[in-house]
Parts: sequence; C-alpha cells; structure tokens
Amino acid sequence: MLARWLALFVVLLLGLAACGGGEPVDVDGDESADAGGDEVAGGTLIAAISGEPDQLDPHQTSAYASFQVLENVYDTLVQPTEELEFEPALATEWQVSDDQLTWTFTLREGVSFHDGSDFTADDVAFSYNRIIDEELANAYRFTSVTEVRAADDMTVEIEVDRPTPNLLANIGAFKGMSIVPEEFDDEMASSPVGTGPFQFESHSEGQSIELSANPEYWGDGPSLDGVTFRFISEGTVALTNLQGGEAHWTDNIPPQQIEQLSDDDSLVLESVPSTDYWYFAANQTREPFDKPEVRQALAWAIDREAVTSAAKFDAATVNQTAIPEGSAFYTDYAPYEHDPDRGRELLKEAGVEDLEVELMVTDEYPETVQAAQVLETQWGEVGISTNIRTLDFATWLDEQGEGNFDVFMLGWLGNIDPDDYYYAQHHSEGGFNFHGYANSEVDDLLDQAREETEDDARKELYDEAVQMIVDEASYVYLYNPDVVQAWVPEVEGYTVRSDRAIRFENVALNQ
Amino acid sequence: MASYVVRRVAQALVVLLGVSVVVFALVHLVPGDPIRVSMGTRFNPDAYEALRARAGFDLPLPVQYGRYLANAAAGDLGVSFRSGDPVTTTLLGRLPATLSLAGSALLVALLIAVPLGIFSAIRSGSKLDYVATVFSQAGISLPDFWMAILLILLFSGVLGWLPPSGYVSPLADPIGWLSHLVLPAITVGVVSGSILTRFVRSSVLESLGEDYTRTARSKGLHERTVVTRHVLRNALVPIITVTGLQLAYLLGGVIIVEVIFAWPGLGQLALLAVQSRDYPVLQGTVLLVAVVFLLINLIVDLLYAAADPRIRYK
Repeated sequence: MLARWLALFVVLLLGLAACGGGEPVDVDGDESADAGGDEVAGGTLIAAISGEPDQLDPHQTSAYASFQVLENVYDTLVQPTEELEFEPALATEWQVSDDQLTWTFTLREGVSFHDGSDFTADDVAFSYNRIIDEELANAYRFTSVTEVRAADDMTVEIEVDRPTPNLLANIGAFKGMSIVPEEFDDEMASSPVGTGPFQFESHSEGQSIELSANPEYWGDGPSLDGVTFRFISEGTVALTNLQGGEAHWTDNIPPQQIEQLSDDDSLVLESVPSTDYWYFAANQTREPFDKPEVRQALAWAIDREAVTSAAKFDAATVNQTAIPEGSAFYTDYAPYEHDPDRGRELLKEAGVEDLEVELMVTDEYPETVQAAQVLETQWGEVGISTNIRTLDFATWLDEQGEGNFDVFMLGWLGNIDPDDYYYAQHHSEGGFNFHGYANSEVDDLLDQAREETEDDARKELYDEAVQMIVDEASYVYLYNPDVVQAWVPEVEGYTVRSDRAIRFENVALNQ
Repeated sequence: MASYVVRRVAQALVVLLGVSVVVFALVHLVPGDPIRVSMGTRFNPDAYEALRARAGFDLPLPVQYGRYLANAAAGDLGVSFRSGDPVTTTLLGRLPATLSLAGSALLVALLIAVPLGIFSAIRSGSKLDYVATVFSQAGISLPDFWMAILLILLFSGVLGWLPPSGYVSPLADPIGWLSHLVLPAITVGVVSGSILTRFVRSSVLESLGEDYTRTARSKGLHERTVVTRHVLRNALVPIITVTGLQLAYLLGGVIIVEVIFAWPGLGQLALLAVQSRDYPVLQGTVLLVAVVFLLINLIVDLLYAAADPRIRYK
C-alpha cells in the first residue's frame, strides 16, 4: 500500500513539474544555459550581476541593475570617457552661442535604431521633451532648459534661461538620459530599442536578460555575438559561477573575499577608485544637532580608517570631501582627524551632556550596518551613546523623507558634475537636503557655480562652498569605495570604469 | 462528496476575501512606498508627487481597495510597479520553477523521512533510531542558507559536478533542468525531510502500540505484513497532514534558498516585491499562496477518506 501510494505521489509530482514547464516561461532565455564552455570567435559573454533590472525604460528606472544592461543598448548625445570628460556619441559636435543661452548639437549621420528606423533630431527632441513634460525623475537635469527642438534632421537646439556650464554632464553623464525612438511605446519599456552596440533579445524574469550584437552599430565593435546578464544576488555563488566557467564576468564580489581573490591566477581582478561617496549626516532640524559644535564633535570623534576598513575591508579610500583625488572637482581639504578630546570639548562648548544619537542605517547597504558599529564605539569614547536603527531600504527612505532620524548614513553613486550632488544635498532648496542644512553663503556659492562657465572660476566657487560644508559638518564624508570587478582570463579588452558604467562593446572572448 | 467540495470552495472564497482585505491593509500601512523606493537616492520632490498622483496613491485607501477588488474579481490583479508587467503573467511565469523545486524537494523529503521514520520507530531505541534522531535534529537546526552555500562550494566549486545556480526550463533542456534542480532540492528536502522524519516516527510508534497491532501479531501474521498492512495504514493520516502542510509551505516559495540559488520562484518574487513595496505583486503573491494552502488543505482532507475508510464526507 505504502509503496503504491508513494509511487503515485512521485508520478504526480513529476507530472506537476513537467506541466509546470509548459507555462509561459521564456524558452529563448535558456539557449545560453550551455553557452559557458563552447565559444568560438565572437561568443556570448555571460555577466553575473547582483540585481534584476526593475524595468528597461531608461528614463524611468533608477536601478543600477537596469543601467548595467541599458549601458550596452542605448546611447546618449555625448558620453563620459574613462577620465569622465565628455566625448561625442550620437552628437558629433556642439556649439554654445555667445550669450550662452543656445546649445546647438550636430548629430551623427547614418545611425539607425535596432528596429531599423533612422536616428534623427526628432528622436532627440522627443526623448528630452518626454523627460520634461512627463515630469520624470530626471526632469531636474533640465531645470534651466526652456526648449528642445529639431532645427533640421541632423541638428538639435537646446535653449536655456541661464548659462548652464554642466549641460553636457546633464545630458550625457549616464544612460538615464538616453535617446529613445520617437515611436516610443509601452512595449519598449520592457523590450528596449536603442542605437547601442547590443540589441535586446529577451528577459526571463528572475533569471537573465539576453542581448545580441547590433551589426549596424555606429562605433567600433561589438565583436561578441551577444551578452547574457544573469541575476545572482549571492556574492559567493556569483564567484563560484565565475570559477566554474558558468559566467565570464561579475561585479558581485563580497569585499571580504577581495584579498583572497587577488591571489587567484584563474581570474582577473581589477579595481579602480570610484566617484561614489559615503557619508553620515545629522538632522539639523532637531536639537542639539542644529548646533555646528555637536556635528563637529561627531566628526572629530571618528577614525575614518577604522570605519572604512569595517565597511569595505580596505577596498575604499578615506576622504573628508565628496569626490576622490584625481577628479576634476576634487577639493583638497581635510581639517578633521581622530581626536576624541576635541570631540568632548566641542560637546562641552555646546552645553550638551549625555548625548544620545539614533543612527539610521539600512541592510540594503550592509556597509552602513558595519560602519555603524564602529561609529557607535568611537562616539562612545566621547561620551555619546548610540542606538543603531537598521531598517529595510523602503522604510529607511520613508523615515528620511519624514525627517524621523538623528543621524543617517548613506552613499551617492556615479557622481560626475558637482552641481548634481552639492546642490541637491547642501543647497537649502536642494531636493535631497533631508537633513535641513541651510547656509545662505553656501546657497549663493552653489547658485553662482551653477552658471559659471569658466572652468577654473567654477572650481574655485565649489572649493569655497565645500570647505564651509565640511567645516559646518553638513555632511561628514567618510570614504570613496573602489569599483571591484572580476572576469575570466578569456575576456579581453574590458576596462573597469570609475563611474561604474559596464561597457562590453570592445570586449572579445578569446577561447 | 461533491456537495462537500462545493461547500469547501464557498468557504475558501470567503477566506480569500478576508485575506485580500488583510493583505491590502498591511502592505499599504507598512512604511515605505514604491515610488519613493524606485527613485532611490536620486530623490526629487516634484517628480515624486507627479508619479504618486499618476499611480493613484492620493486616493483614500478604501477607494483603492474597491478598485483592486473589482479588478481582481475579473481576474486582473493589477500591474507591477516595478516592471510594469501584469501581475497574473508575472505569477504564472514563476510557477514552473516553484513547482519544480517544491515537488522535487518534497520527493527528497519523503525519500528520507518515510524509510528513516519507519525503521527508527520499528527499531526504536536502537543505534539506527539514535542516528535518525541526530540526523533530523541536525537537519532542523542547520540554517538552510549555510547548507546551500556548503553544497554549492562542494559540488560546484570543488568537484565541479553541478552548476552552482540558475534555472533551466525542463522543456528546453531536461538534463539541464535536473542538474540545476539537484542542489536546491536537496537543501530544501533535507530540512523538510528532517521535520517529516519525526512525524513519521512518532506516528508509526504510536500505531505499533495499538491493540489492533497486538491482535494482528497474535494472529501469527508475518511482522512485515503487520507493519505494511496495519501499522502504516493507520499511521498515514497524521503523515498526510504534515506532508500537505510542508508542500503548501514549499509552494509558497522558499525565499532564502531561492535567492541563493538564483532560482526564479515565488519566494524570490515575494522578496523583491517586499523590498520595492511593489503592492500589486505582493498582494498577488500572498493571494496565490493562500489559494494554494486552501487547495492543499482540501486535497489533504479528501485523502483522509482514502487512507481511512472510517472517514466519509457528505
């Protein structure tokens, strides 16, 4: 009886599983399943990425996973070089009028979208006006823009109401400002049609996205037949995939394994300093954090090296300003050091005793949780007791928006132009100024810098503003993490970029 | 029997309605909203308000629920905030991987639990019984994520026998499907099997001490016949109950194991939906899991009748 019952059960289960396979999964997505081993010339590169894109509409998404894929599918008018200067992409040249209020872009001839339609000025006007008119998340990049128009098929004119020296950064810093076809519809939000080196083939939810080479690509390459992005959220598992030849490339590398991997001859591991920064900020709308002395005490109390080492296992460089040395807008300014005595003095000056701090961090970014434990210890040494509040990111963002925090820790990623991050975070009208910093001098400097077209003068304005921001501890900047990526030796021509853009157009698989 | 099933289905609909209210209220009352999450650190107040209004979040909750229910009754569970895809399509797309893992894990669990439970009950107090107890205790105590990583490191990393992660459709590549399935199925199956082993053992042990067993033995029946005909048959009802519950639990998605093995099942979907506060997907997933529980409970109840002739439904 039991044997019969068991046998029936087994048959039933197998039947269920087999029927299950008949449901509308994307069978196309599985062709790559055995693509790991047998590449000839060309070949399909398998990239293991940690997250799954939420959507593939470049103007709507803010997810890094989406941009990892879209980087290879779409183009912008201009694009950042590895040194983060702007070079021609879909526009070959551009001029600014003498009054600085009209930008004229000449477009590249002979470019077509993946669906075969020609790329023209109408597509550019449509893309930018879509972001502006629909008030999409990146509309703030066009705050000075009054009109975008197609002057003729191959010329686009952008009118601004004030000089906008960072217009190129605003339209080219990342693929969120991609040029989509004028015929953009809902379908293209999930199966994108761009002008980039690879075209979208399929998306198997929870598993992978497949791209194939665009033979009509305007630039060099691609030499690969395609790229498959596999979503593997667990770092150890991504590395096992890489070591076992199931994947060729990954950026999902647990920081604690970097040292061990650098001794592994079967993999190539490279890292470059990124322009990302991580920081903590105290809520200046709450007492006693409205007093600069209290915020400065928090800054003097910490040992950045220890915080960084706990958070990133040394795959990061400490910094007291936002972006790292070597960036065009780096400000060489580091007034703080690890000095608990100074911290205690400042608290005394402010008349604050028995300070209790609630430090809000999120498990979405484990480095904030690890750093928080070091901060707790170091603040403890100056007599501040810390209550670490670890939240999921959705709740965290909600609490931040409501102003329900004493101190939070977070990072900003992919920073290129200072107007983007200093204005948003430290101008009293800034969209990300949740900690309530308001200093009219800083506001003036940031307003001027926005419109200053002379590079050196603009840099000086930011230097001045940054020193005030650091002195008053609006943000206490901590470190710039490295971008760490690994691949198998068969991958040739790949470069790790400081802005975390993942580009496979010039990559070859040599097997 | 038919009228019993109809009655149960009607009850199930009432339960589902209740579940939908609770889930709707819960997901909307927890802090965090999908628009805020989708904007991440690049927050911008104007765009935020515009997107919220477009998603209908400025309407009162009861109105939002009414709309949701009306659409759901027509089979439309809404559209994912995250991907923009219909929730029903998203859920259906997750079924093959979920059914594969739940089915195979339960198979592994039964293959472990039934022989181990029976023999340790028959030889209770023996070395085998001791070993089985240690095994099931270990299986329950070991965290599944830890076991998953160990299995991956051993079978994929060191030995290179099996792929470390991923899913392949059985229609496209049955061998690939099986090879990807082995590790997650063992991980989940060992945990479930450990739980089941204890139930099988205690259920068989209890049955062994019953009067009818003594009678069967005193009739001079072979011990093997006593066990298969009398003991197991009577021990089945509690085993079916627990097995059904385990299956329902597995079909609801094994979140951590799915995440580690990059397995595109319901658990992984639910986790993503929670993280991004994707209300429609989260509501749809919970409703689907509720349906699965109700359905399996019904099947388990009907199986009682098959296992025990004294049980009849009218």
